Amino acid sequence: MPELVAEDIVKRLGENDVLRGVSVKLERGEIVALLGPSGSGKTTLLRCVAGLERPDAGRIVIGDQPVFDTARRIDVPAEKRGIGLVFQSYALWPHRTVFANVAYALRLRGVADAEIRPRVAQALESLGLAQLGSRYPHQLSGGQQQRVALARAVVYNPSLLLMDEPLSNLDAKLREEARAWLRELIKRLQLSALYVTHDQVEAMSIADRIVLLEAGRVEQEGEPERIYEDPATLMTAEFMGSNNRLEGSIRSVSGERAEIAGPNWALSGTLRTGKQAGEAATALIRIESMRLAEEAGENRLALPLTSVLYVGERWEYLFALDGQPIRVWGSARIDGGEQHIHFPADKLWIF
Amino acid sequence: MRLPSARNLAVLAVAVAVLAPLGLLVYQSFLDAPFFNPSAKPSFAAYQYVLVDPDFHTALATSIFVSTAMVIIAVPIGSLFAFLLVRSDMPGRRVLEPLVLIPIFLSPVVLAFGYVVAAGPVGFFSLWAKGFLGVVPWNVYSVASLAVIAGLAHVPHIYLYASTALRTLNPDVEEAARTMGAGPLQVALAVSLPLIWPSLVFGGALVFLLGFELFGLPLVLGGPAGVLVLTTYLYKLTNILGTPSYHLMAVVAVVIVAITMPLVILQRRFIGVSARYVTLRGRGQAVRRMPLGSYRWPALLLVVAWLGFTVVVPLAGVALRSVVSNWGEGVNVFEVLTLDHFAELGNFPNLVRGIVNTLLIATIGGAAAVACYAGVALAVHRWQSRVGELHDFLVLIPRAIPGIVVGLAFLWLFLFFRPLSPLRNSPFSLWIAYTVVWLAYGLRLITAALLQIGPELEEAGRVAGASTLRVYFDTTLPLIRFGLLGSWLLIFMMFVREYSTGVYLLAPGAETIGSLIVSLWGTGALDLIAALSVINIALVGAGLAAALRLGVRVDA
Repeated sequence: MPELVAEDIVKRLGENDVLRGVSVKLERGEIVALLGPSGSGKTTLLRCVAGLERPDAGRIVIGDQPVFDTARRIDVPAEKRGIGLVFQSYALWPHRTVFANVAYALRLRGVADAEIRPRVAQALESLGLAQLGSRYPHQLSGGQQQRVALARAVVYNPSLLLMDEPLSNLDAKLREEARAWLRELIKRLQLSALYVTHDQVEAMSIADRIVLLEAGRVEQEGEPERIYEDPATLMTAEFMGSNNRLEGSIRSVSGERAEIAGPNWALSGTLRTGKQAGEAATALIRIESMRLAEEAGENRLALPLTSVLYVGERWEYLFALDGQPIRVWGSARIDGGEQHIHFPADKLWIF
Repeated sequence: MRLPSARNLAVLAVAVAVLAPLGLLVYQSFLDAPFFNPSAKPSFAAYQYVLVDPDFHTALATSIFVSTAMVIIAVPIGSLFAFLLVRSDMPGRRVLEPLVLIPIFLSPVVLAFGYVVAAGPVGFFSLWAKGFLGVVPWNVYSVASLAVIAGLAHVPHIYLYASTALRTLNPDVEEAARTMGAGPLQVALAVSLPLIWPSLVFGGALVFLLGFELFGLPLVLGGPAGVLVLTTYLYKLTNILGTPSYHLMAVVAVVIVAITMPLVILQRRFIGVSARYVTLRGRGQAVRRMPLGSYRWPALLLVVAWLGFTVVVPLAGVALRSVVSNWGEGVNVFEVLTLDHFAELGNFPNLVRGIVNTLLIATIGGAAAVACYAGVALAVHRWQSRVGELHDFLVLIPRAIPGIVVGLAFLWLFLFFRPLSPLRNSPFSLWIAYTVVWLAYGLRLITAALLQIGPELEEAGRVAGASTLRVYFDTTLPLIRFGLLGSWLLIFMMFVREYSTGVYLLAPGAETIGSLIVSLWGTGALDLIAALSVINIALVGAGLAAALRLGVRVDA
């Protein structure tokens, strides 16, 4: 049974259509990431589910309770939806201690004091905050604040946990660690979670399923590996990884294979649209699928090296093709001049 | 409690409080006799009388002249002071910053009285100057002195808006000019001040508007020379025909509002512009100050000279006058020192009531007013709707109506509306008029505090399961409690300072220090006025000291 159903959500802000009929479904115990560039409407969708934003049309059901339905004129206020929400800024109440922050929702639900104490203590304990109950938010580090925000959102066992870029205020190192324990925690508490992020790596590592939004529509949805390795559209392919992009036109098509060519180059790749020979097309390839080759060969181009960057775990080589940069990764410094670059045909997608 | 209806209700209450007095004024202006007179008929007679009265024309011209002069004086000085205090390394700016704002909190009628006893024909400073020069080189009873004094007294209003805008200015833009060879004054004139022009226009419009609302200064300084401005013309009409000439007064009030209302509307448009200008630069940069070099001390001297003229001279005059038994040419100060005037106040029950009422209205009434403002502010808090916009406009209306006119309108309301009549002779009548007069100011204070709270703090409360009302009590109000305290202190000072609103409401039981000074001025009881003025200043001073001590931003 789905924990959350949002159907055909439409939201306009003035002239601007923020959401143009988005549908998202979340099964019990599932973590779904709403992924998309800024302005794609992902946070608006989350806020619509939370009841903080009122959609112009659509239907939202949480558990078995319809909380919003334009057709049936249902609009349950945020406080009655029984969800947990972790804000991007954490939104910890600065005038309350950590304990009081976490305990507030329980007090609102009329839980007896004798019961509140152990429940809050347990929530803090499970997030490694056991010693910090009497502190105020401003006395905590960013990482600790982030965990208090999480403790506050889960302490009353909401059936649905919403998270709005919860890790974006942490520094890079902490963020990578947090991905692992956050996913582990959600699974351990058997929560269903809707997770908003603009970071595709974060989405892939935390979520069971990704809904990729673009300009207020669902661009593609599916499991992380499917979205990454089998993108249905150019937008998805570009958004999900680091790529090289070549503009050209299709020279010939044979089944799944097609040949695409520009003024000074021609490569064969996998056709991912219904385009015919002669049509303009874009070829896209993940940088990690490419490598330098010793000599000329099939689907290889000889290109002049323009610069070499050292970024720590690897080297980045920049080549020029028709004035466009082509990036290749490698493990050693190379000298200038022409190099042969291999574009594996099954990894070169033509859109 | 369904909140949307509570919101509409709050806006409705504001509309009644604001529009009822205004409506009554307009209605009265189209009658040929006081509205409670059964023979009163609709007519343009009042307009015909007032609009052809030569005194009215002179008063209107004087008001326009004084307002214009105020803008010409206050805008350059106020913006220069803002640059010096906020952007430069002028010595002593920390101490001067709160001091520059003092004139805002001083009662104009006290200020005017101070100038009379300090610099009038036989004032302390006049006689001192006469000792050197043989003559008094100035005449305080003239349109020119009125314009200069009013202009200098309104420097803080410009300073307020200019300094707020300058604080958000990125120092890089000034330093860029500096590196290209511009001196401090050139930087101020070519970069800093042009960048904040919307704030200067806004402040200038405010000062022009306040020029039409001046009452205490022209009453005291213009009276002896027969100089009338619109408000004092209105005041003079009170008894001109023997019977209360309410219809004529209403016409003058309507004329004043017809001039000030467009200014308020214009100002409101400019708020948008200045906000845009500020956000362009946005962000609180670390404050880097422009070195003034050899201008440092002349700059300091300039600010101190202004403070001396605008604050020290009149206050010293009032203080000294309150402790001498009599004063005139050839009197030695040390032979006439006395505290009798303060003791004498006790002989007049109305003066004692005035002091007690002022304290009650400022403390308890101030707190009640802040509670009202907070209620209204919360009702429209984060409310995007047509009604909310209507409310934003409504609260600006009292700003366009001089205090004396609001007082007049409320007097009529108390006479007109029977259920309110029993409260007529009590401080309550003053409290409600004060609360309406300071509505825009009070709401701005509370709204500024509310804007400090990120919306997500309230949303987090909603998501946790609290209703909107509950969120207000559990999260919003606790978070702005310091802002509420600060608002109360500022409202306390404004209510102590207020005088013109109480002029027409003055009645046994409804006296205040300010309105008593105005009425005593007509009788020439200088000893009592001086003693009352000192008490008034002391109360304001206590409020200001408390505010500064607690770190309240007095430049709100």
